[in-house]
Amino acid sequence: MLEMRDIVDERLKVFLYGVFISLGVLLCGLYFFQVIQADKYVKLAYSNRLRLIRHSPPRGEIYDRNGVPLAVNETTFSIMGYPLDLDKPGMLPHLSELLSNHGIPMSVEDLERTIKRQRWAPYRVIRLVPNLTMAQMAELVADPEFPSQLFPLPVWRRIYPAGALAANVTGYVGEISENELKESPPGEYVGGDFVGKGGIERYYEGLLRGATGEEAIEVNARGRKVGVIDMRPSEKGQNIRLTLDMGAQKLASTLLQGYSGSIVVMDVRTGAVLVSVSSPAYDNNPLAWGVSAREWREITGDSNKPMLDRTIAGVYPPASTFKVLVALAALEENVVTPSTSYSCPGALRLPSRTFHCWRRTGHGSQNLVAALQNSCDYYFYHVGMRLGIERLLRWVKKFGVGVPTGIDLPGEAAGNAAGPEWKRTRFNESWYQGDTINYSIGQGYLLTTPLQIALMYAALANGGYLVTPHLMPPDVVKEPVDLKVNQEKLRLIKRGLDYVVSRGTGARAGHFGFRVAGKTGTAQNSHGLDHALFAGYAPADAPQYVAVAMVEGGEFGGRVASPMVGQILAHILSRPPEGRED
Amino acid sequence: MGVFSFSALKEDMAALDKLLFGSIVLLGVLGVVCIFSAGAGYAGRGWTYAARQLSWLSIACAAYVAIVSVGYEKIMDLAYPIYGVTLLLLLLTLLVAPAVKGAQRVIPLGFISFQPSEFAKISLIIVLTKFLSRYPPLTLKPFLGGIGVGLPALFLVLIQPDAGSGMVYVVIIMSMLFVAGPPLKYFFSMMIAGMALLPFAWFSLKEYQKMRLLVFLDPTRDPLGAGYNAIQSRIAVGSGSLWGKGFLQGMQSKLRFLPEPHTDFIFSVYAEEFGFWGSFLLLAAFGLVFTRVITAGMKSRDIRGKILVAGVAGWIWFQMFEAIGMSIGLMPITGIPLPFLSYGGSSLLSVSIALGLVGSVYASANSAKRYKQGRI
Repeated sequence: MLEMRDIVDERLKVFLYGVFISLGVLLCGLYFFQVIQADKYVKLAYSNRLRLIRHSPPRGEIYDRNGVPLAVNETTFSIMGYPLDLDKPGMLPHLSELLSNHGIPMSVEDLERTIKRQRWAPYRVIRLVPNLTMAQMAELVADPEFPSQLFPLPVWRRIYPAGALAANVTGYVGEISENELKESPPGEYVGGDFVGKGGIERYYEGLLRGATGEEAIEVNARGRKVGVIDMRPSEKGQNIRLTLDMGAQKLASTLLQGYSGSIVVMDVRTGAVLVSVSSPAYDNNPLAWGVSAREWREITGDSNKPMLDRTIAGVYPPASTFKVLVALAALEENVVTPSTSYSCPGALRLPSRTFHCWRRTGHGSQNLVAALQNSCDYYFYHVGMRLGIERLLRWVKKFGVGVPTGIDLPGEAAGNAAGPEWKRTRFNESWYQGDTINYSIGQGYLLTTPLQIALMYAALANGGYLVTPHLMPPDVVKEPVDLKVNQEKLRLIKRGLDYVVSRGTGARAGHFGFRVAGKTGTAQNSHGLDHALFAGYAPADAPQYVAVAMVEGGEFGGRVASPMVGQILAHILSRPPEGRED
Repeated sequence: MGVFSFSALKEDMAALDKLLFGSIVLLGVLGVVCIFSAGAGYAGRGWTYAARQLSWLSIACAAYVAIVSVGYEKIMDLAYPIYGVTLLLLLLTLLVAPAVKGAQRVIPLGFISFQPSEFAKISLIIVLTKFLSRYPPLTLKPFLGGIGVGLPALFLVLIQPDAGSGMVYVVIIMSMLFVAGPPLKYFFSMMIAGMALLPFAWFSLKEYQKMRLLVFLDPTRDPLGAGYNAIQSRIAVGSGSLWGKGFLQGMQSKLRFLPEPHTDFIFSVYAEEFGFWGSFLLLAAFGLVFTRVITAGMKSRDIRGKILVAGVAGWIWFQMFEAIGMSIGLMPITGIPLPFLSYGGSSLLSVSIALGLVGSVYASANSAKRYKQGRI
């Protein structure tokens, strides 16, 4: 083994030489910086002449499908400064006085708070006064009293030309909160940055935001910039073109004027959302400016909930619009045939309880198509009982009820496809036949969003495909899920929906020149008047668009909601949108 | 050693490498001084940091002496079980440790937190020593076997993800393989293979890691992010000039120009306050440590001792080179602590245990009595 040891000792020696060479390299490096170039660095360090400026990039703009602007930027000016200079005694009182002389009220405390919120390091720039116009800025900077260490910086501010018309979709931006800052990856954001707080602004924050530009500058003893040390220009965020059609959106918004509710219109094959109105609406412009705590409480505390996007986050019983699903499930599970009939006496009397049909006098003999046309509750009570809750639930879940649709908006509600299991965990109660009976007319524990109803009807209209709704055309279109529905049976349902409008409860949807097929609904509301619903698609023989109208406290779907759907679908079909995806 | 006795301890003290021990204490004290200064500026808590580090330093010295008196031979017998436990701990880190800045590294243990990736370096050295002395890598099979033994530990830290520790592991494995005497062609082929794998490694890096490397190659890419730290650190080091600004007089760290001055950028604090001569003294102390470590190996009659010291030297060398190199922009910025100086008990304790093993190699080589007792 002696020879082996010699090799190893030799290697150890080589290793030690290598280590010493590396120590020599480090020493040379240190000599270079600490001795040869020391003067340069001493100057930089002692004079604290290095400053950092962060340039926020212009945010990507948001347009509707025809190029109508929904969110754009305008230039304003901010007065910036460095903590290094602002910490000097007397600086803040002087500044506060100067600002109030120019009609900008900012107390010393206000300034201190702003500084504290954004402070990270003494050399990193801070925004002292935001949102100045060019004139205000020029006047202020021209004042001989204006401290030489401060300077104006042009910044982009968000404005929303469409305002309340599309605020539920567009969302708004605001200054990043402390929590958001903590949760963002390190280095991504700093205090004072603006981020999307809701809607598209939030969902596509990554696209819209762009890349922040940064600049390291050298200043002279008076704090004025004398040179740029390093620079990375900002890059504008990506523009986004939505599938929204502002013309139709405006009409829908007018139709809902005075009501609380929502209207949504979607392409039945692609899932592109053309209209998404939630009423009452809010104006997103003041939010982007920054509102006071009191104003914010007023908006969020409003009992009409203007900031709730009812299309995706309002949950309601689907009521009679749900009967299509019960009918389809019954056909598919071979519980009924097209000719199976029940004679409706006006109520279903069980030993424990009586379930009324909406028409107390009864409908007489009803087969599937007639029961849909007349919305006969009695027929569906029977069908629901024969189908049973488990089989029905399977179809409910297949059609996307109880899970978020996956639309590109934050804050979507899942709804609730509540079944026996849910009832057991929630109330510790068993499932009764009465629950199934309620279920079969879309009442009870079942809750859906208007968008989920739209998805359900789109699937009926397009031949049994569950699409993913979207507002921005995706790069890779998500393949619709084939629900494997028997086309023959589907045609039967569609005939029923056609009859609803041509000779049934939803006749008012057909008064606008296009053949609409759909279903009315009246959702029982324990807190007040019943909610009115209508879900439909057009043209009835070759469906292109599906629309759902939901009017809180609108009482009868046939009267209030169905003309809304008819009118909005007619509007869209009579003016084929430009730049359609398909 | 089995039974503790005072005379045996005295004997061990006599066999202690006083130069090595002295330089460890010197470096450790310098560390406490810097941490006090950095902590004072960073958080206004100089005393808290310094006192904690000082207690860690005394624990570390005790650990050093304890390891010397136990003797590396006994520890070597347990190499495989120790390694097995280490791998389990690394696995546990992935499962239970809370994520700090996106990586899981620390297991909280009540009042102290425990960083298994530091201690895994020791057991990696022990297990490789055992393996390479038993199967000298003179042919391809044991050479690849040696690499294979180290891979599980490397893999487990890389998925934490802790690329910094991963690099240290690679350097440890390479140092030990190199010294264990394989034909150089194996060694160079391995390095070429490693370079061929670099593009793949690139894709497995996290965004911030890629950014650091890109910034290292081109500092203007991110002047105010990772690149800005490099500039500020260089200003701190450079403005120290020949004699330094003096203790507690460094402005860069006091004014928060430097991020994490008490850990990652401790050398910048030191160099700013003690200047080029201070840096020279520090490098000299490190030079002395390396000389003593390698000498211990060369004097040892046991092949295990020789391979062991290479691992320890490679480890300390790489962390020192990286930490100092990054503070002047010679190396990309990583979170690797500077041995002895950076704040942190896990790092200090593990380095001292490793040096205790080296001290024990030295003691065995020098103690005729131990030799006669057949301890080797």
